Formats: sequence, structure tokens, C-alpha cells
Amino acid sequence: MLCVDDEAIGLQVRKILLEREGYRVLTASNGAEGLSLFQQHQIHAVVLDYSMPGMDGGQVAAAMRQSNPKVPILLLSAYVSLPEEVLAHVDRYLTKGDGAVSFLENLRLLLKTC
Amino acid sequence: MNPRAFDRLLKQAVFLPVLLLLLLAAVLLTEVRATFDATKFEQQSDRNISDLEGALKLIIDQETGLRGYQITEDPSFLDPYNRAKPAITAAFERLKNDFAEQQSQEEELAAARRAYLEWTQYAENEQALVQRQGQYRALSLNAEGKQRMDDIRERFAQLIQHAARLRDERSAAVRDQVRRIVETTIVLTVLLGILIGMLSRRLLHRVSDSYVATLKAAESRSEELYNSQQSYYTTLQSIGDAVIVCDGDGRVTFMNRVAQDLCGVNQVEADGKALAQVFNIVNETTRAVVENPVDKVRRLNRVVGLANHTVLLRPDGTEINIDDSGAPIRDQHGELTGVVLVFRDITQSRKTAQALLASEKLAVAGRLSATIAHEIHNPLDSVANLLYLLGNHPSAEDAQRYISLATQELRRVTETSRTMLSLYREPKAPILLDLKDLLESVLVLLDRKMQDSGVHVTRDMPDEVRVEGFPAELRQVFTNLLTNAIEAAGRDGSISVALRAQDGDAGAIVEVSDNGPGIPDEVRMKIFAPFFTTKGEQGTGLGLWISRGIINKHSGSIEAISRTEAEKHGTTMRVTLPAKAASLLTETAR
Repeated sequence: MLCVDDEAIGLQVRKILLEREGYRVLTASNGAEGLSLFQQHQIHAVVLDYSMPGMDGGQVAAAMRQSNPKVPILLLSAYVSLPEEVLAHVDRYLTKGDGAVSFLENLRLLLKTC
Repeated sequence: MNPRAFDRLLKQAVFLPVLLLLLLAAVLLTEVRATFDATKFEQQSDRNISDLEGALKLIIDQETGLRGYQITEDPSFLDPYNRAKPAITAAFERLKNDFAEQQSQEEELAAARRAYLEWTQYAENEQALVQRQGQYRALSLNAEGKQRMDDIRERFAQLIQHAARLRDERSAAVRDQVRRIVETTIVLTVLLGILIGMLSRRLLHRVSDSYVATLKAAESRSEELYNSQQSYYTTLQSIGDAVIVCDGDGRVTFMNRVAQDLCGVNQVEADGKALAQVFNIVNETTRAVVENPVDKVRRLNRVVGLANHTVLLRPDGTEINIDDSGAPIRDQHGELTGVVLVFRDITQSRKTAQALLASEKLAVAGRLSATIAHEIHNPLDSVANLLYLLGNHPSAEDAQRYISLATQELRRVTETSRTMLSLYREPKAPILLDLKDLLESVLVLLDRKMQDSGVHVTRDMPDEVRVEGFPAELRQVFTNLLTNAIEAAGRDGSISVALRAQDGDAGAIVEVSDNGPGIPDEVRMKIFAPFFTTKGEQGTGLGLWISRGIINKHSGSIEAISRTEAEKHGTTMRVTLPAKAASLLTETAR
């Protein structure tokens, strides 16, 4: 699993949470780094933050889709609503602040369907 | 007809008849003089005749006396003779004078006198003879005497006849003269009468015509005036603003419908009253009476506006905010003859302006929603995750770590939240604040937005700079300016914030610059106007207008410097703030 978020603490906490659940997690703090990791490793799922410096989450998702159209992508955002074209590239969209339980449940469902 | 021409006309009307009458008098005078002369001549003739007859009679007396003496030899008979002599001589002298003009008569007279003198010679001889008892009765001598006497009588008769004829001629002349006077008088009088009559008639006609013309002109002017007055009255009544007209003493002469409504009086009640009695204005906050606009106009002798925050108190106890101006009314000589006051009720528009300000404040908050979202949601999301982990029986060490991370994130939230709220807290009075601190806090809030836009920021704030002001409002201004700069710079653009103290500790200069496309000159004039925006539907157009209002309130200034050329483009917004605000008004945008 690949997590990309420019919030250092948030990224760290998310990694701990996911590893507790039994996932193996790779992290990147910006879009470019994330894409490079995506190319190098076999990624089964991506958890992307939307607002990041350089490339935003939507752009990163679009780039990933090009290399691997099938990989499940979950977009996380602090924003309440995002434009259509961004959501087109991702499989699921969650707002931060719904809580850990909701996040983990959504992720499980996502992995099950893909 | 102008007054001078009229004057001339009147003078003519008076002087011409007088002149003509003087002429008549002159003519009559001449005629009368002539009559006198003619009469004198006549009298002269009369005198001559009487002299001649008198002289002749005396000469005959002399002869009689002589005869008596001859007969009686009594000398007493010579008394008449002697007595007559001087009278005769005198007569001859007078006659000589009078006959001076008549040559023929003069000669005749001289001859007659000679004849007489010769007779006197004869008479003397006779007397001598009688005395000597000589031959006095001699026939020849008597015959001589008689002959001489006959000659004298003859001569005198001629003279008298001539004089009589002359006298007749002269009498005729006098009668002629008199007749001439009468004729002349009648003719001249009639002529003059006609002349004067004609002249007067013509002059009077002209006077009358000019009078009629003047009356007509006055009438037409009065009608024009009435029409013009009516037109102005209607115009004034139709104006949507309130209009009050006062005379030179500040007494109301006219109030239009709107003014009557706003002041709560009608024209009849207000007419003639001093303005202050119907127009009761005070300051909105201090409730102090505001200077009467009529007094102000009279004092300054020019168009004036009322002070801000003026409220009109109405008789029914309600009050309305007003905005107004007063102007002097002058006559042809530039003297002040009245004042016209125009005002309107701005209570509604003020409420609207205040609502706008309030909503703009909220909009500013809205613009920072990216920040709120991030700076609050992200940390809280981590805290939520950490609490979940804490609920899963972590080891003591892990638990410690989780708690520490959570605390850190919560501090972040509090920090952000506090900064956000301080945007709304407004101290009653200005306080001394550090602009560097303030600008930094705004930059923190905008950090997320800048990252999202890929905008690079440069700080040039070497020292702290302190000024007096309202921190929340100044934050609003710089948030607005920085947001504009970020949006102008665009993706991968750059902005800079520079802070310097003015020379001599006189305040601060803040410059927010971006390297965006720049503002063209024709637009730069309008950017501070309300409801002007280049952001289409997104912009409210109020940001810079409100920012300028706030800066003005702080007695500072704000200006835009911009270039739009391809090689060099960008905008710098320069804000100048004094160290101490000179007078802080209680309201911003105006």
C-alpha cells in the first residue's frame, strides 16, 4: 500500500494505523515521490491526499491511472467537496475527520471489490 | 426707450414752446419800439406846428405892439414886443433842431428867420424913429412894414402847411404801426399755437409710445418670470432629494415635498421660520448639535457638505441619517441672498453599507476556508486515528508516543483556531501592534493556499515595526492584499512581502508584490471602487474598497503600482501607515 500526504504527522499516524491492521505501507510526502515509488514497487492500493504542493492528488491519481488503470485509489481530503474531474480518476473519496473506523472499513471494501 | 432719450424728449417738450414764445415776444418788442418811435415823430410834428403857430402869433403881437407904439408913442405898447423876443428866439432854435433832418424845411426856416430878423431890424428902426419923433408914419416905411410882415406870414403859412402835412403822414405811420402790431400778434400767435401744438403732439406721442412699449416689455418679462418660476417650482417639487431654500437671514422660504416629509413639517408651518427650528440636526454618536448648514455657507461663502454621521431629529421623535450639501444663492452683484440646502435619507443605504461590511468580513473568512479545512481537519484526523490506536490496547511505549503526537496536533488546531478568531475580535480603541508579527500570522494562515497554488513567497521583514491600529482590521487588509497577490501570481508565480519603517519613526511601509500580469492603467483607476472586480462571478468587488476604507480610517494610504509589459510585469500594493493615527473615525467606507 502506498500512502501519499504532505502532512508529516498525519502520514506517520496513518502508517502506524494501517500497519496495525496488517498492511505493509510505503509512504511518500509529495506527488513526484509517490509516483516514483508507484513505478518501482508493486502497489496494491493507493491512499492519496488531495492538497499537496507541486502535483495535487488529482494529478497524481491521473498519472497512476495511466500506468496502471486497475489499481484501487482512495482519495482523502480535508476539503468537503472536490471537482468532478478529480473524482473521475479515483475509485473512492473520503473526507478526513470521519474517523479511523470509517477509513479502515472503506479501504477494506475497496480492496474487496477490485 | 432709454432714460437719456426720454429726458431729451421731455426737455424738448418744455423748451421748444418757451423758445417760440420768446421769439414772439422779441418780435412784438420790436414792433412796439417802432410804434413808440412813430409816435415820437408825430409828437414832434405837433410840437413844430405849435411852435410855428406860437412864434407867428408872437411876431404878430410884436407888430401890434409896434403899431400901438407908433400911434400912441407910449412905450408900454412895446412890452409885448420885448416879452416876445426871447420866446420867438427859443422857438426858432427848437424848430432849427427839429428840422435838422429835413433839408428843404431847414432852408425855408432859415429864410423865414432871416425875414423876421430883417423885420425886427425895421421894427427897431421904427422905434428909434418914434423916439426921435422922426418920420415914422412915412407911407413907405409902413408899406415896408406890411410887406415884410406879409412875407413872414406867407413863409410861416408854408412852414405850417408843410408841418401839418408831415404831421398827417406821421399820424398815418403810427396808425399803420399799430395795425401792424395787431396783425403780427395775431398771425404769430396763430402760427406759434399751431407749431407748438404740432410739436407737443409729436413729442407726447413718442412719450406715450415709449411708455406703452415699456409697459409691454415689463408685462412680457413678468410673464417670463412667472413661467420660469413655475418651471423651477415644479422642478424642485419633483426632485427626489429634499430641497430647502432659505433667504439671506437663514429663514425658510421654500421646502419641497420630500423635505417636508423628512423634516416632518409642512411648508405653511415652516415658512419664515429660522432653519434650525425645522431642521434639527445632531451628531449621531455625540448627540452634539451640528452647525446649521445655512450658517456654514454664510461663514465660508461657498458650497459645503455636512459633517459625517449627521442625524435629523424629527418632531415625532424618530431620527434619520442624512447626507447633504448647502450652496449659496447670489444676486447679480455676487452678494449672498439665500442658501439652498439639498439632503437625503441615507439610513437605508447606511444599513446596507454596514451589512456589506459585515458580509465581507465573513467572505474573508470564507476565503480562508482552505486554511480552516487543512489546519483543522488534518490534525483532528490524526488525533482521531491516534485515539483509535489508543483504544486497541497498545503497549505503554506506543501509547506514550501516540499521546505525544496527538497533543502536538491539537496544539496546532488551537493555534489556528485562535488566529482565526482574532480576526473577529475588535478592540474599542487602537492599540500598539507589531506589523511584522501581524504579517507573519497572516502568512501562516495563507500558507496552505500558497502551497496549493504553487506560489513562492519571499519575506523582506528585517525588523519589527510598531504602529497604532486595530489588529483585526489590518489583518483583514493584508489577507485581502496577499490573497489577491497569490491569485495574480498564479501557478509557480511568486509574491513578496516587504516591511520597512518610514524615516524618522513616522510609521511603516508595507509592500505586497506579485509577478502576475499586472493591472492596465485604465483599470488601475477603478480597482478601489466598490463592486469592481476582475474575477467575474467569483469576486465581490468589495475587498480593495473595504481595505482602502480601513487604511483611511488609520490615516494611512494605499496605492497600486503596476507594469504590464511582457518583459516586466507585476503589481505592488504599497500601504503606508502612520505610527500614530491622527484621528480615527468611527466608520470605515464612505
